[in-house]
This record gives sequence, structure tokens and C-alpha cells, in this order.
Amino acid sequence: MAAETESAVPSSDPPVGAGDAQPDLLPVRMLNEFAYCPRLGTLMWADGEWAPSLDTRQGLFTHRRVDKGDRRAVPESDAPPEEPLHARSVSLSAPGEGLTAKLDLLELDGPVATPVDYKKGKAPDLPEGAYEPERVQLCAQGLILRENGYRCDEGVLYFAGSRRRVSIPFDDALVERTRELAAAFRLAAANDRLPPPLKDSPKCPRCSLVGICLPDETNLLSAEAADEHTGGALHRKPRKLLPALSEALPLYVQQQGAFVGKSGDRLTVKLEGKKLTDARLLDVSQICLFGNVMLSAPAISELARRGTPICHFSYGGWLNAITTGLAHKNIALRIRQFEVAADPAASLGIARGIVAGKVRNQRTLLRRQLKERDKGDRNHPALTALDDYRQRAEHTTEAGSLLGLEGMAAKTYFAEFFGLLPPWSRGDTNGRNRRPPTDPANAVLSFLYSLLTKELHVAVQSVGFDPMLGVFHRPRYGRPSLALDLAEEFRPLVADSATLMLFNNGELSEESFLSRAGAVALTDAGRRSVIAAFERRLAQEVTHPIFGYRIVYRRVLEVQARLLARAVTGEIEHYPAFTTR
Amino acid sequence: MRHAYLICYDIATPKRLRIVHKTLKGFGDPLQFSVFRCELTKLELHDLRERLAGVLHDDEDRVMIANLGPINGRGDESIEFWGAPLSLAPDRGPTIV
Repeated sequence: MAAETESAVPSSDPPVGAGDAQPDLLPVRMLNEFAYCPRLGTLMWADGEWAPSLDTRQGLFTHRRVDKGDRRAVPESDAPPEEPLHARSVSLSAPGEGLTAKLDLLELDGPVATPVDYKKGKAPDLPEGAYEPERVQLCAQGLILRENGYRCDEGVLYFAGSRRRVSIPFDDALVERTRELAAAFRLAAANDRLPPPLKDSPKCPRCSLVGICLPDETNLLSAEAADEHTGGALHRKPRKLLPALSEALPLYVQQQGAFVGKSGDRLTVKLEGKKLTDARLLDVSQICLFGNVMLSAPAISELARRGTPICHFSYGGWLNAITTGLAHKNIALRIRQFEVAADPAASLGIARGIVAGKVRNQRTLLRRQLKERDKGDRNHPALTALDDYRQRAEHTTEAGSLLGLEGMAAKTYFAEFFGLLPPWSRGDTNGRNRRPPTDPANAVLSFLYSLLTKELHVAVQSVGFDPMLGVFHRPRYGRPSLALDLAEEFRPLVADSATLMLFNNGELSEESFLSRAGAVALTDAGRRSVIAAFERRLAQEVTHPIFGYRIVYRRVLEVQARLLARAVTGEIEHYPAFTTR
Repeated sequence: MRHAYLICYDIATPKRLRIVHKTLKGFGDPLQFSVFRCELTKLELHDLRERLAGVLHDDEDRVMIANLGPINGRGDESIEFWGAPLSLAPDRGPTIV
């Protein structure tokens, strides 16, 4: 950039040495997102959230030629080229405007510069020639060119879908709107709170971040909180914008001595040189290794690149470590998480919801099972007791008493729960025991809780939380407290119900266990059955109790982690635990 | 939702043939020589297109992509086998070994 052009922008230059107060240059690409939806832009730019969708990928593909760039020099504004010139992929900044951009194509004709932006779609049938986000983005590119000393009065949008060039004049109204949006964007990015989601907008279904933003769900829950004060009107049921199924599933390797390697875009599992199985990387959502299993460096690096976590268990099923790629960028959420964890009242508020949800789910499981066994005894003392514990948990004001209530509810619950299992599977005392478990039922429960914790560890980590710092479980070295917190409400729903299935459908028998001096462990075959039952349960569809749509448990875990993030950042008032009826 | 796609190719040089074959192995299973059956979402299919576009020479090579329909539906029923296929329909559950 020439010295003259720099000094040509005097007034709006940020003060030198402003340090942290000086805002980053705003990429005009992000300004497009912000104009489309303020929440989307903020999620992408400030929080660093990103999810590819068919639209974004097709967009990049359309750009592949212009993105390549060329190595020819581009003349500066004070030395206009003699012949018209085209330059691809030109990066330029304007500190005065606070903007930066990579221009797809820059057309220079004497002193006149025209930015050309490639769009994959068809030209819309509008008098302005294009929708506002595209026009604003292009105009911002124009402003950058102007600050760099070029004459720039219009830009061009090239719509690849209809192979049409559409000229967009940079009139005063558009320039003003562009600056207004850029200023609003900076304000939103500096704010702790995200802009609210769009209301019932047709823009949401095709948005690539819909699963992160949860627009309808967030609106419903924050509206519910507001309604308690206003008296309440009915709200629309959320649209089902989340995909119900996840296509990729976990790969478990518990065969001792197995070797997991990468061959092309597949993972192969071998034992002593012989292939046991292979799976497309596309189909693998996480890999879980038990005990003595090897994993090649190319496989690790490819899994990390794809963001696929690797969970390392001991032979006995203890979760030792999770390998992931570089840490999640959402530092703002972590800061809020630590603030909430340090604030006893805020922590308790969330913990109450979690414990009450868990006790409610325990009661529901017992009620259904006892109804089958005792032919409809609705007033079983255990059910009444659990109801009471739940109500007290909902209103307690002390973390200590919440812990006590949770313990008493568990005792009441397990006294009945073990009675639902065949006699050979349980010890004499009908209660939980662990480290090591001394009867088959407890061995299965411990293993399932470990799998469930792993699942939530992955979920909270992928949302951007630090899994080690919780609100109910106190932090301890090496304990994934937040994953354990969130696992509470799912223990009855996923682990306990899978245990009942395993024992009562005869999937496990006495041969599935090994007893060594009183400590009971699963055999390889037994463990395989338990993993299969756990996965079957996660693949089961339920009707969401608040949102009303059908969704598989695996997705529910993810949604709950995101709702917890909303509660932590204060966007929704209460954390809504997942409970079934 | 994934669909099943039948993907067939004629590739002019052995080097590109090897690359195309290896690429397709990451997206599906070979049914016969130069014929794959791939279960893909639209996004995954786009991925495959991008990968192949970087390899193929349009003047010499050919690729055919036929959408057989959704898996668990028409996509599963539309292929009839005589003799021994190189692979069978994939197991769609989690992999436990």
C-alpha cells in the first residue's frame, strides 16, 4: 500500500496502542453472514463455530478457480494499468473502515476498480439485483478498495447457477447500510450474549449452523421463562430442523492385541496380520479402544483432522483418556462455565435441575416396571418417596442437601431396581457396589455408566465446554465432572434400562462373567453384548418431552449439552433436564 | 438421509485408475470391477465429486453415478445379483470387534 493512500484516511483510524480495545478487522465474508442473521454471524466470527453443509461446500467448489489466485502483480492505485486487468483472489484490508476481504476477482480499468464476487446460486429476481447480505458484502469490498485509493462506484455479483453478471451500484444508501451493519456486528461480537435466534424464519432450515444455534428450541425455552411473568400465550411447537439420525456411529475395538490402521479413507482392524473388519471413515463418529489395542499414527492424525475423538479405556472399561484434535475455539463459553462453577448459587441452580431430572427418570423407570410386575400398584412407597425427594431437590438451597437427596433417592431406587433383575445377577444387599463390583448386575451398571460418561464427555467437549469442571460433581484430579453431571439424568434412561434389557432378555448369562476372589468382571463376549445393548439404546427414537419431535437418544445427548451451554451463558433461564413420561 | 449410488467408471490410464479405485474405496464397496455401491448423504456425494474432479481427465475418462434411492428402501432392493458379488451390503450398526 502506498504511503499517500494510508494517510488519505485520517479521521477514523484506530488510535495507536489501543491494545485489546482495538477491534480486529472484520472479514466481509462474515459481514454477509451477519446481514443474513446476526446470530449466525456472531456464532461464526466471535465464537468460531463452523459446520460444513452442502451449500457451503458447493460454494467453495464454485470458488475453486477464483480461489487459486494468480501470481501476477496488481498495480497500486497511484499507477493505474494501461490495459484493463483482471486479478484473482486479492487480499486487501482497510484499517480505517476496519474491514478486510479476499476479493474473488478484481477488475481494473484505469483508475476504476470493480470487485467481482462469485455466488454459486442463481441470480434472484429482485429489483436490487441481489439480496441484502450479498450487496452489503460487495459494497464492503468496494469500501476497502476506496480506502486503498481506487475509484470504485459499483461491484459485480457473478451468479454461477445462471451464469449472469449483476451490477450493484454503491449508492449512499447501500454504503450507509454497510457501515451500519459493520458497527452493529462489532457491538454484537463484543457482547457476552449472542443475538437472539430468528423467529420461525424460513432462513433457518438451510442454515449450516442450525444444530448449533437451535433457533426454535432456544426461542421456546426463553419465551417460557418470559411467560412466567406475562401470563403465557401458547407457542409454536419447534420445527424439526435437526436431523433425527446420525449417520456415523462409534467403532469399538476390544479384541486384545488388535491393530487399527488407516488404508485410504478406511480404518482397518487387524489381528496378527489378518483383517478382522474395516469401516469407512465416513461411518465412524468416534473410536473406543479397550486395553491393549494399537492405533497407527496416520490413523490418529486423520481422525484428529476430521474431529473424530478417540476414547481410550482400560481393559476393565475405565475411561483413561480422550484424544481429539486441537481444542475447540469457543473460549467465551469456557469463561462463562468457570464463572458459573465459581458461583455457588448459579451452580446450584443447574445442579438442581439435573438431580430433579434424574430422580424423575428413576421414578418413571420404576413406575413402568412395577406396573408390569404388580399389575398397577400406583401407590408403591418407593414411588411416593422418589416424588418427595424430587420436589425437595427442586427447592433446596444448599449444595450439601442436594447431594444428600440424590443419595437417598438412589438408595430407595436401587433397592427396588435390583428386585427387577434375576436373582443370580445380584448380590445379597440389593444396592450399588463398585471398585470392584461384587455381583454381575453391578459390573454391568459400572461398565454402562463408564460408556455413558464417555458419550457425554465427547458431547460437552464438542460443544466447547471444559469437561473437567462441573456444577454438581466437585472437581477432582482426572474426574470429568461436567460429563458426570450431564450423565446423571441419562443413567436411568440409557444405562439402567439397558441393564434390565440385558438381564431379562437373556442376553447375559452366568457365563458372561468372571469372578475373581469376589470381584466380578465381564468376559469379552459379555462386554460385547453390553456395548451392543448400549448402542441399541442410543439408536432408539423418543419423543422429545419439550420440543415434541422424534429424536434418537444419541442426538438428545448432544442437544442437552447445547442447552446446558445456553443455560450457562444465560440465554435460557433454567437448564431443562431431559425427562420421559 | 443416505441414498445408495451405483458408481461406475472407465479410466484411461492405470495410474488414474488406481487413484480412482482407492478414492472410491473410501466411499463405498466394490460390487464388480469398476463398479461400486456407495451409501452417501448429499454432502458426502459432493465430497466424492470434488475428489474425483481433481483426478479425472474429462477428455479420456468416464464416470457414471446412478442414484438407486434411499437406503432401507428402494436403494436396497434395486440390485439383483447373479454369481458372487465382490462385497455384500454393509452392516449399518456400530462396529464392535
